[in-house]
Amino acid sequence: MSSAVMRLRAVFEKSGRAKYISHLDLNRFMLRTFRRSGLPVWYTEGFNPHPYYSFALALSLGYESSCEIMDFNLTEEMPLDEVRDRLNAVMPEGMRVLSVSEQRLKITAITSAEYSFSLVTEQPEELYAALQELMAQPEILVEKKTKKGIKTVDIRPDIDIVSCEKSGDSVDIAVRLPAGTQTNYNPSLLIGSLRDFCDIPFEEENIKRTKILCENNEIFS
Amino acid sequence: MAEDSGLRKKIEKHLLSIQKPSRYIGGEVGSVVKDKSRVDVRFAFCFPDTYDIGMSHLGMKILYSLTNERENYWCERCFAPGVDFEKIMRENDIPLYALESLDPIRDFDFIGFTMQYELSYTNVLNMLDLAGIPIFSRDRTEELTQIVVAGGPCVCNPEPLADFFDIFILGEGEEVNLELMDLYNEMKQQGAKRIDFLRRAAHIGGVYVPQFYHFSYKDDGTIESVSVSDGAPETVTKRIIKDFDSVYYPDNFVVPFTEIVHDRVSVEVLRGCIRGCRFCQAGFIYRPFREKEPDTICSETKALCENTGYDEVSLASLSTSDHSGIDPMLTKLLEYTEKERINLSLPSLRVDNFSESLLEKIKKVRKSGLTFAAEGGTQRLRDVINKNVTEEEIMNTCGIAFRGGYSSVKLYFMMGLPTETDEDIVGIAELAQRIIDLFYSIEDRPKGRGVQVSVSCATFVPKPFTPFQFEPQDTREMIEHKQKLLMDSVRTRKIKVSYHNPDVSLLEVVLAKGDRRLCRVVYAAWKRGCKFDSWDEHFRFDKWLEAFEECGVDPGFYAHRRFEYDEILPWDHLDYLVSKEFFIRENRTARQNKTTPNCRERCSGCGVNKRVGRDCF
Ligand code: SF4
Repeated sequence: MSSAVMRLRAVFEKSGRAKYISHLDLNRFMLRTFRRSGLPVWYTEGFNPHPYYSFALALSLGYESSCEIMDFNLTEEMPLDEVRDRLNAVMPEGMRVLSVSEQRLKITAITSAEYSFSLVTEQPEELYAALQELMAQPEILVEKKTKKGIKTVDIRPDIDIVSCEKSGDSVDIAVRLPAGTQTNYNPSLLIGSLRDFCDIPFEEENIKRTKILCENNEIFS
Repeated sequence: MAEDSGLRKKIEKHLLSIQKPSRYIGGEVGSVVKDKSRVDVRFAFCFPDTYDIGMSHLGMKILYSLTNERENYWCERCFAPGVDFEKIMRENDIPLYALESLDPIRDFDFIGFTMQYELSYTNVLNMLDLAGIPIFSRDRTEELTQIVVAGGPCVCNPEPLADFFDIFILGEGEEVNLELMDLYNEMKQQGAKRIDFLRRAAHIGGVYVPQFYHFSYKDDGTIESVSVSDGAPETVTKRIIKDFDSVYYPDNFVVPFTEIVHDRVSVEVLRGCIRGCRFCQAGFIYRPFREKEPDTICSETKALCENTGYDEVSLASLSTSDHSGIDPMLTKLLEYTEKERINLSLPSLRVDNFSESLLEKIKKVRKSGLTFAAEGGTQRLRDVINKNVTEEEIMNTCGIAFRGGYSSVKLYFMMGLPTETDEDIVGIAELAQRIIDLFYSIEDRPKGRGVQVSVSCATFVPKPFTPFQFEPQDTREMIEHKQKLLMDSVRTRKIKVSYHNPDVSLLEVVLAKGDRRLCRVVYAAWKRGCKFDSWDEHFRFDKWLEAFEECGVDPGFYAHRRFEYDEILPWDHLDYLVSKEFFIRENRTARQNKTTPNCRERCSGCGVNKRVGRDCF
């Protein structure tokens, strides 16, 4: 059994048609991608050996991302760019490895993630104002499914609006939300709260994870 | 990719509200996208069932890659949407589209369906309707576009579909599909009309243009004659690939994102079957028997595994263990698959040549239970159907399997076989019981687990181009009596019995043996909402009965009537190389409880060798 000599971290993009690959399917997809690439990936030992790889955070179905993170090991040394290129050579439209580097921080160091999205509406002014008003509330209560059943939590303290702009037919938002092993909030919580809060019709579009962050809002790597 | 038709945005708007959306948007690894401005002929390969089922179909993979090898032809895939997405498509005017370009298939040159089972017929109508293509061939444009074609095993009797298709392609498609597209391309450039194309196409071997064939019926409902117009040939002969070892085989498959029914590499090892089981249509319509060299099989396996990234491969054939080089083939294959950590699965292994050494080899790779198609409960009945399997062989194999650690066996039977009596039904229970007794008589049987014998009973469906094509199907009352008898004969919980729905089998036989008068019934059933008839939860027998009633068609005329030897059968003008005389001879031999040897043992003169111009073995 060969041992893992390179512990690597790929940052990859998931966009276009690839955003409809569910997290479960992504697992199977990566297994086949590795096999196609012919890279000397390290297999787990034991009864049912399989290539080892692990995703830092799950991404909801339908979301795009420019910053997904996957860890894996190789049993042979090789240039990082070559690893990236060999993966990209066998990826479909919408999936692209942006960089491959050595694993620096532990996955548990992840604290938050940033998302961007547009709320498409015929009343951007009103919707913009409604969002400001919502964020001015002392608390925003949402029901969250947990392992122990449904729980009401206040998400207000954890929402960090990074930017918010209105255009002709939409309100475009960037938001930072907790992510990682402890708490994971998804933009749909905020979108849902806004929908309950005001009765302006809108549709969310182009939800995209743009950054995965650790302590002090530094890019996780 | 090339600019899209604007449908994409409309589709994406709804994708997140339906089940498994990645089935509806394409973009999979291995899918072929071309620049449509550089393409001369566009072919929509349609499978009349959902993505999960259709994507598992090997024939589609072969013809998809084969067509796309031609730079100026573009073959795309299209499936029946699930009920949830169909509703959205209809509400939002999303026409049925192909997965690669996301363009509506109504704009394609060819719309080709593969007809694998009778219960998918209503799905064809539903898909044409969703596409905005006129359902009846006669209502389509006079221009040369939108040619609706079908191939696959069901088109050996395509009459119940004749009104909906412009062309049926008989036999193997690897050559004829391209010939048809070449002719189309040539005539399109000359500005020809649809009818001109169909007239010339009718002269390509294997091409059947149903509108040139006209049926008249006698007072008793049987066929009086078939007349031919427009200069089409009197009979249409199926196509076969003569040099099977070097026939085109893809080195890549489209790899779905979502899990499908057969989610693995599949390599075809042989075509045809040496056996001649008298109920089995596949055993006759795919003759002659041809096999690939072990080396070819290995290199095709290797290329496919490397290009798709699958870690599972299965060998496709009607009976893999009949390959003359099974041992060297498996040895070579296992050498590669073990090294690359690939699972090799071997469906369709037969009981009778299941040797200990072969079991040893596959034991390494096979974890699931054993399944045997015994088909008949007594030796007499197995002789009638020419299932040349003896009880001794079944017992031997079960013995080897039990000693090898297996403790469950699944047995398949058919009910309602020709000449069947109560004794044959009781025989099913007795055979299952003897397998159980055998298990407990074995010293080194698997300990700690009880033995389990599952008995699965289907209702016999007589099919065209088999020696039993003349036979009636049992009525519902007869089947119910036999089911009850079998239940009463089983005296232990170690035997589990399951049945297929006999109403489904009735519909199958009517659509399999029906003539052109069935087209109206299929249409009426679809109009009443019938679709996905092969899915238990969608099958609406009451609607079908209403459709028969409305059209004044008696299903019993097709299902429960014996077709005479000298009667003109709805498929007699189609030629699948096996002679009708042979089927009659085999039918008579069956009635004498006599078997016919397999083709490798001795040729029984079915006529295929003479037609192909060479000996089969
Ligand atoms: S010609 Fe003879 S060997 Fe060939 S398929 Fe027919 S019966 Fe079998």
